[in-house]
Amino acid sequence: MPYIIDNEITATKTATIEIWPYNSLKPKGFVLFLGSTCALISIPLFNVVGTKVFWGLFPFLFVTLTGVWFALRRSLNDRQILEQLKLSKEEIVLIRQDPSGEQKKWVCSPYWARLKMYDKEGPVSNYITLRGNGREVELGSFLGEEERKNLYYDLSRLLNELNIKP
Amino acid sequence: MADAAIHGHEHEDQRGFFTRWFMSTNHKDIGVLYLVVSALVGFIAVTFTIYMRLELMEPGVQFMCMEGMRLTAAGIGECTPNGHLWNVLITGHGILMMFFVVIPALFGGFGNYFMPLQIGAPDMAFPRMNNLSFWMYVAGTTLAICSVLAPGGNDQLGSGVGWVLYPPLSVNEGGMSMDLAIFAVHVSGASSILGAINMITTFLNMRAPGMTLFKVPLFSWSIFVTAWLILLALPVLAGAITMLLTDRNFGTTFFDPAGGGDPILYQHILWFFGHPEVYIIVLPGFGLISHVIATFSRKPIFGYLPMVWALIAIGALGFVVWAHHMYTVGMSLTQQSYFMLATMVIAVPTGIKIFSWIATMWGGSIEFKTPMLWAFGFLFLFTLGGVTGIVLAQAGVDRAYHDTYYVVAHFHYVMSLGAVFTIFAGIYFYFPKMTGKMIPEWAGKIHFWTMFIGSNLTFFPQHFLGRQGMPRRYIDYPEAFALWNKVSSYGAFLSFASFVFFFVVIIYAIVAGKRETRPNPWNEYADTLEWTLPSPPPEHTFEILPKQEDWDKSPAH
Repeated sequence: MPYIIDNEITATKTATIEIWPYNSLKPKGFVLFLGSTCALISIPLFNVVGTKVFWGLFPFLFVTLTGVWFALRRSLNDRQILEQLKLSKEEIVLIRQDPSGEQKKWVCSPYWARLKMYDKEGPVSNYITLRGNGREVELGSFLGEEERKNLYYDLSRLLNELNIKP
Repeated sequence: MADAAIHGHEHEDQRGFFTRWFMSTNHKDIGVLYLVVSALVGFIAVTFTIYMRLELMEPGVQFMCMEGMRLTAAGIGECTPNGHLWNVLITGHGILMMFFVVIPALFGGFGNYFMPLQIGAPDMAFPRMNNLSFWMYVAGTTLAICSVLAPGGNDQLGSGVGWVLYPPLSVNEGGMSMDLAIFAVHVSGASSILGAINMITTFLNMRAPGMTLFKVPLFSWSIFVTAWLILLALPVLAGAITMLLTDRNFGTTFFDPAGGGDPILYQHILWFFGHPEVYIIVLPGFGLISHVIATFSRKPIFGYLPMVWALIAIGALGFVVWAHHMYTVGMSLTQQSYFMLATMVIAVPTGIKIFSWIATMWGGSIEFKTPMLWAFGFLFLFTLGGVTGIVLAQAGVDRAYHDTYYVVAHFHYVMSLGAVFTIFAGIYFYFPKMTGKMIPEWAGKIHFWTMFIGSNLTFFPQHFLGRQGMPRRYIDYPEAFALWNKVSSYGAFLSFASFVFFFVVIIYAIVAGKRETRPNPWNEYADTLEWTLPSPPPEHTFEILPKQEDWDKSPAH
């Protein structure tokens, strides 16, 4: 599940939820794929080591290898989104880290924060938003449908606790 | 912060015709474009062969004359044989079919359209690069056709060196036609490499949650293995033909013995690419056939895991057998023994696939719908071609068969009858999904039977010709080979008629076919994700990650 919850709320401790998009390529797979591609693509070079032909082949193999490396990196980087939600008695802070490195922040008092899930009206089904402090912000729009539903229940429970517990 | 966006909006397709088809970044549209263009190029390449079969129908030269090309044998005056024209046609046919027809159709067309759908990805990883790949393919095709028409060797148009472009012949061929052919292969190679990088990234990083590698549908697996083979093989070809280009134009001597080069080394490099190339051609077809057979046998595919490993093994073995294409260049006995044994090992994973397909059908409730007929045809013909492959793999036997029509028969059985039958199986299988229209069964069946009989009639007699010792790549032959050449030509005309009929059927089905908008017109054993979408699918698909129960059917049904 691409989000984790640390939800022990006490008077001093804050609860955190981290949400990120799902990537099916894990770091280990990345290394494995590029490693084996690198090994296999160099096979024809062994044939021609020490001849001029080596230099005729090498640039093309090299460019291809860097190409696929760059493409996989790019695809992983494009999905480096991290949404961090910190909940405490004093405030709710939502920080969104975009792939560009840009950070967006939303702060609101837990008392005024309203959690809402739009079944159909949003750009995705089960669209979750938080409203407060004059803005309505989205949460986990890149998650799966079911995951968003679970997130919604987890989050509503947390917000309830925040507002009820002394 | 990403502020919430609630409009209750549905995506509307507001693209005009030009924007949609000429500036497309949508994987489904690009897939369709690939299929259409490769069909047209295929038609050109087939026309070449029909003209060649016309020439080979009778001993002597009746049509390809120095005095001009003729379409009727009504013998207007003298006819001096024009061997150059013949050579240009076989070169053009080879280059077009190898680079511009089958790969774009299977890998570019079906791969683009269905791989992202099967893994539940919203599009390819790099949609604009996808567009670039397609237009580079079109540019490459244009160059290839220009090459046939540009001034070339023997003070005539076109270059006649064979699609393998062996030096010194290709280096010495006059005119610019040869350079255009090299550029054509370059551009199409670059297009394929970009496409392969795109496919690999999509496959590796955009699979739906829960879809681990060994739960991916077989067609997507075959596309991934193909993409990997392209990535490893095509840069080698690019390097080889670049050296050819500099040898031709800048006086380098990579492959010229006079300057310390080695023309045999070119053959090694070419076939290091060329053998994986034939698997690049046929592997996506294997993937398609798996789905077709499972669907119309109403059984899940037999032995999914061995099927995947067989795909990988075929891909890997493809890189270590290249020299069986060149047994006669003077390799040592040990080298020949190695390549012979390695080649025969390929029969093991291929056998696994064939037997698994048969086991899938075993005890199944088989339905002879058109796609299944093509799959049956493929299975039978590909196996037949594989058997002659084992014969040719014997270095000793190959001495006799090298450069005879036996080889022509062999590779047309595996590629023309194998790979092309999978394309047709795929078209009949996926046509309702892609267009929301049904191709009439009777039309599909007529197309299948005429093509099946026609192509067998074309290529089976070529085994006999090869055994009688008729060499490849000649415009003329002695009287003794007349009978089977005549039969072969009749077969070619029947296949051509069937091919033209196919175009008519497709146009008819698009314009006036019966509407078929159910997501799944076949049965519940067509159980991959594309069958959960409406037919034709909307512009945007799987913008929301699919649920696991939509695609995970194991334990099966």
